[in-house]
Amino acid sequence: MNQNSKFLVSNTSLDNVQLLHLHGYLDAHTAPDLENAISRIINKGHSNILVSFKELDYISSAGLGVFMAFIEDVRDKGGDIKLCNMKPKVFSVFDLLGFPLLFDITEDEQLALSKFSNINSDK
Amino acid sequence: MTNNILNSKINDYQFQTDYIYLEDIRRTINLDALSVGFSEEVASYIAMAVDEACTNLIRYSFNLDPNNQILIETQFDSKSFIIKIKDSGKPFNPTEVNEPDMLEYFKSFKRGGLGIHIIKKIMDEIIYIPSDTKNSMNTLTLVKSLHNLN
Repeated sequence: MNQNSKFLVSNTSLDNVQLLHLHGYLDAHTAPDLENAISRIINKGHSNILVSFKELDYISSAGLGVFMAFIEDVRDKGGDIKLCNMKPKVFSVFDLLGFPLLFDITEDEQLALSKFSNINSDK
Repeated sequence: MTNNILNSKINDYQFQTDYIYLEDIRRTINLDALSVGFSEEVASYIAMAVDEACTNLIRYSFNLDPNNQILIETQFDSKSFIIKIKDSGKPFNPTEVNEPDMLEYFKSFKRGGLGIHIIKKIMDEIIYIPSDTKNSMNTLTLVKSLHNLN
């Protein structure tokens, strides 16, 4: 399913949200796997994406760049890429560059999911 | 007494210019940073700075051609942990790249260009010396003060 044993991304379809679980190390070597996974979701017409970082141990700028590449597209479609469940060392990389200004980063996965529900119920 | 006399070499490493080795590079630098007394958090930041530098080299100086080498030397003196990254690719001076205004960066939804910003945020000093008639390799020197171990 995935060529990089050091990084795994798994996709679960919920009612209105596509949930991605990331595992391992996200760097320039593995970032294309995440890019492909998000592309597949968007190409299927989904724009509500929640990414769980619970099992992610490392992210470099190549990984951050993947989220930058898609965020405008999904927001233009009325959706969002929300991020949740980061280990402190991973969150510190997002925080170092000010990413919490652009991305909705939540500690709790259920809370993040409920934010999508609120958006949808508003429509 | 000169700095050179005080300098202590920790290790020399050689890696192929392939992203697949980034994990090895990070693990290697992390261990050396821990060995001079940095906390786990700072050591992992330093390893990340070296990852970003090597990622840029592989992409911009070697055009993703995996059949080249990056040499990395780690050293320390009384004040600093020093990492020298040497390559024989196309010279690319990261110190000449302007730091992005992150608010403008986010407004433009750009991707990329963050690696050098990360290096500058993490390291205390960055010195770039391109190859010339005396030195056949470009050398990027990253310095982290030992005064901020945590």
